Amino acid sequence: MGELSKDKIEKGIEVFKNQKDSKLRAHINSCVHCGLCAESCTYYLAMPDAKFVPAYKVDLVASVYRRYCTLTGKVFPGLVGARKLDDATIEEMVDLLFGACTMCGRCSTHCSIGLDISFLVRTGRKMLTNMGYEPAALQTSVNTALETGNNMGISDTDFIETIEWLQEDLQMEVNDDQAKIPLNEKGKEILYTLNPREPKFFPLSISAMAKIFYAANESWTISTKMYDITNYAYYTGNQDESKIIVKRLYDEMENLEAKKCVLAECGHGSRAFRWEGPNVIEKAYPFEVLTSVELIAQYIRDGRIKLDPEKIQELVTIHDPCNLVRSGGIVQEQRFIMENAVKNFTEMTPHGIENYCCGGGGGQLAMSEYNERRMKIGKLKADQIIKTGAKIVASPCHNCIDQLAHLNSTYKLGIQAKTIAEIVADALVLE
Amino acid sequence: MATIEIENRIFEVDGDGFLASPNIWDNEVARLIAKYDGIEEMNEKHWAIVNIIRNNYIENGKAPMIRIICKETGLRLREIYELFPLGPARGACRVAGLPKPDGCV
Repeated sequence: MGELSKDKIEKGIEVFKNQKDSKLRAHINSCVHCGLCAESCTYYLAMPDAKFVPAYKVDLVASVYRRYCTLTGKVFPGLVGARKLDDATIEEMVDLLFGACTMCGRCSTHCSIGLDISFLVRTGRKMLTNMGYEPAALQTSVNTALETGNNMGISDTDFIETIEWLQEDLQMEVNDDQAKIPLNEKGKEILYTLNPREPKFFPLSISAMAKIFYAANESWTISTKMYDITNYAYYTGNQDESKIIVKRLYDEMENLEAKKCVLAECGHGSRAFRWEGPNVIEKAYPFEVLTSVELIAQYIRDGRIKLDPEKIQELVTIHDPCNLVRSGGIVQEQRFIMENAVKNFTEMTPHGIENYCCGGGGGQLAMSEYNERRMKIGKLKADQIIKTGAKIVASPCHNCIDQLAHLNSTYKLGIQAKTIAEIVADALVLE
Repeated sequence: MATIEIENRIFEVDGDGFLASPNIWDNEVARLIAKYDGIEEMNEKHWAIVNIIRNNYIENGKAPMIRIICKETGLRLREIYELFPLGPARGACRVAGLPKPDGCV
């Protein structure tokens, strides 16, 4: 009972075999069980149970590795704590690797030997996905993206009509009927991407970015064919599907002959395209990739846009998206922008690369079966926000924004969660 | 399957509180979910938004674009976020009895 077919097990352990570099082997065998990672993990902090300790999650994956890929594990599994892939192991892996990890990477910064723990969790996720155990909601988002070109299944007509509607709004906002949101124009300086939730439900951030581009007199365009910056296959660990999504944006950059690819405020999407993308497609990008946060900071530095911080009087704080900050290196830019865009700014504790995950990372927002845990770990974030007394929480990630909005309602925070572009657009001085 | 109880009625919902069976939805269910979200009374504007979302769902099997909601109700974007503090997806679509939309919502 509870046994898996040989074929299925083969599919699972394939992830240990098809490795082109030594990273997996080095990391999977190296945990020294010091336990320092425990208190770095939001799950363990919110629910102090040993199973939530990152080292335990790592060992889950490593124990399967030992069972099928080491001699002692094959012959004397009991001696080396090697685990068989059966229903019980699978159930625990799905629950802990998908349902109790936001892949925020905070544990890695506290790890005494610097293991890339979220990489190991992703390897475990990949194993489960190969065997067909990935959570349905996560896979649905990937399927919709693969089938329709964006993860919310927005049709071309709906998208174009939305952009035209936002363009009319922009023209009124800046009082210039020549102001544009250019679609599919070739040879521009910038190809700008979006998170599909923007055109579908939250278009204020598109208007904001369009206003900033207008003020900076930028040469830019959006592609109707490929604007989706998200890549949920990064979270299921399905490398082949992730590759298709990365390749689409790569191809569209070439097709539209744009010089720079500017990524919308999306943590995992930025990471999946900018940092993981070249590895996934096994090709360096011949174009520059940067986030809109870096671009806006550059506009301010170069004097291309002017801001009046007096326009925003409320106390503002920043929430750091894990994929953009801890794993993406964008730490100071958003703070430099806030210094210039708002009158009153405060930091939460801890902040920067030490900040806690909002609770919605790692695909948690898409998987409603783990909602209760998501709100429990989010309580840490809610408490951090309450302590700052801030009325506006700025965060350069749409996924974080949505979790913050949910925390706002559950824990009665009385805040507004905004993207960096929305705040900058409000502070803009048009000449 | 999770459940929520509002005014002695029990609804089966997913982990995010979206109705498990969208077909049990009626105006009374909408009123109760809204109440659960802190909207004490549904006004005309709330109903206009909910009805458009519902009709669009029946016709196309998914939530309408925010542009359609604004266009058909004549409401400004910001008003929609004020009426449904959880936003169009977690707020309005849930009240309209839709399943949870995919993506970062």
